[in-house]
Amino acid sequence: MSAPSLAPAIMKRPWLQRWMKPLANWYTNAAGYRQLGLRADDLLPEENDVVHTALKRLRPQEAYDRVFRLRRAFQLSMSHQLLPKEEWTKPEDDTPYLTEYIKEIETEMAEREDLEAMVINKRQSNANAGH
Amino acid sequence: MLSRTTACRGAQRAARQLSSTQKRGLAAPASGSFQYQSGEAKGVKFASRDFAGPTTTLALVAKAGTRYQPLPGLTEGLANFAFRATERRSTLRIVRESELLGATLTAHHSRENLVLEAKFLRDDLPYFVELFGEVASQTKYQPHVYNEEVLPMIHFAHTRFVNSPVDMAINSAHSLAFHRGLGNSTASASQTPYTKYLDAETIEQFSKSAYAKSNFAVVANGADHGEFSKWVGQFFNEVPATPLQQLSQGTEQTKYHGGEERLAHDGGNAIVIAFPGSSSFTGQFYKPEIAVLGSLLGGQSAVKWSPGFTILGQAKATPSTLVQTTSAIYSDAGLLYTSITGSAQAVAETAKAAVDAIKKIAAGEISSEQISKAKAAAKFKELENGQDIRAGLQLSGNGLVNNSQAYQIDEVAKAIDGVSEEAVKSAAKTLLENRASVSAVGDLFVLPYAEELGLKV
Repeated sequence: MSAPSLAPAIMKRPWLQRWMKPLANWYTNAAGYRQLGLRADDLLPEENDVVHTALKRLRPQEAYDRVFRLRRAFQLSMSHQLLPKEEWTKPEDDTPYLTEYIKEIETEMAEREDLEAMVINKRQSNANAGH
Repeated sequence: MLSRTTACRGAQRAARQLSSTQKRGLAAPASGSFQYQSGEAKGVKFASRDFAGPTTTLALVAKAGTRYQPLPGLTEGLANFAFRATERRSTLRIVRESELLGATLTAHHSRENLVLEAKFLRDDLPYFVELFGEVASQTKYQPHVYNEEVLPMIHFAHTRFVNSPVDMAINSAHSLAFHRGLGNSTASASQTPYTKYLDAETIEQFSKSAYAKSNFAVVANGADHGEFSKWVGQFFNEVPATPLQQLSQGTEQTKYHGGEERLAHDGGNAIVIAFPGSSSFTGQFYKPEIAVLGSLLGGQSAVKWSPGFTILGQAKATPSTLVQTTSAIYSDAGLLYTSITGSAQAVAETAKAAVDAIKKIAAGEISSEQISKAKAAAKFKELENGQDIRAGLQLSGNGLVNNSQAYQIDEVAKAIDGVSEEAVKSAAKTLLENRASVSAVGDLFVLPYAEELGLKV
């Protein structure tokens, strides 16, 4: 799902994070989705199994809010308008609500792959006993 | 041909076993292996017996059956959440790992108990004790798991339940007899319980009370007692010592009420005639004569191509009518019930015959030969419980949690041996004097009322 990112590496180094933070804030604002009332996780491409499953796992309220944000954004985009400033998405609301599910599902799928590819060895004691 | 060393080893083993078990007389069962040794490790009650053989059956018996559920459907929900993803491993990993070890995992519930059960090879004991500890303390009660995996199972159970007249009749007889608590239905009769009261969060809350140390026992069949106690002490550390909230539901002494219920049903005909019965051997109201009376009434044949010696087996209207008398034992009460299924006409006739049979027993018109046959059958059934691992595990666990002693099958068998003819007669007399619980499900035009059968309700 996710593209390779430098973010984790930067987050690990506090000095680098302090240096990059203003830049990141500027970039997020410039991306313009907050002005349409969207959250970053609303922009994830959803045409794949992982995100599909993740969307199904959202709580009913979360799923409803997501659809509301998307429809409002379409409307705004078509009418070439932005939301009034007080309705822009606040940085503290811009939470990775979907990413946590996506990560969970990716681990599940990876685990399934691993288990499928597993090579099984007999326990030594059983092998000796001729089971 | 036996080599010298093999014969020697066999003899040595036999000698060792002889010293460790009790002496047995002719009539006593090979009892040493039937006895459960019980103990406590860091607040967790456990019992085990070293049944010879290469496999082990491990069960966690929690006092969280439908009797104790604060909201309808919680027990079913919790049973279906067993062996799902925990904090440490996913559902898939649990399934795959136990498959690799050749094990079977099941979770089921009765009126009083929620039972998690695993059957596996003897060597794998630590793995499964750890798994049980994890299931009890670290299961993740995720909403999507509830929606995708748990809810459909509850719904299947509901569908199966409403399509089976005999299940409906048995549950209805229980609820007539005990009202709340023991009378709670084991499956949902309507969709309301699980659509209205149940969600993942409620089940999680319930799990914290159900899987508290004071509320469950771990029972193993085919495990060394010392080893088992070591693993139990090691792996149940994260389980809460006391329930999150004290469950008051169903803990008061059960009271017998009685009454009659009639339900129309298209899928078949069933009548259940129930009377107050005997509590479990570990409880206070143990009456061995009820078990004998149950097998005297009987209904099912023990041999093929014959109606059997039991009174109802011979009195039933048609060969295709199914009759069964069960003495259901619970920790503080019991229910002796006869369930009859078949065509409406036959069910009606057999129900009449059943009541007549009880009257006959009460009047003493039964030969002593028949009573001794019934005693033998009841005793066999008890001792078979000792062989039947599942029943034994649940009975012992139940005894440990409720009355802090394990169910000792040998002693029960002895109690049945001591039942006199007089006791059976007077038991039958008391049945008729008390209010019965009668439930008829099916074609209500044909099925008789309790009063027509000659019962007091």
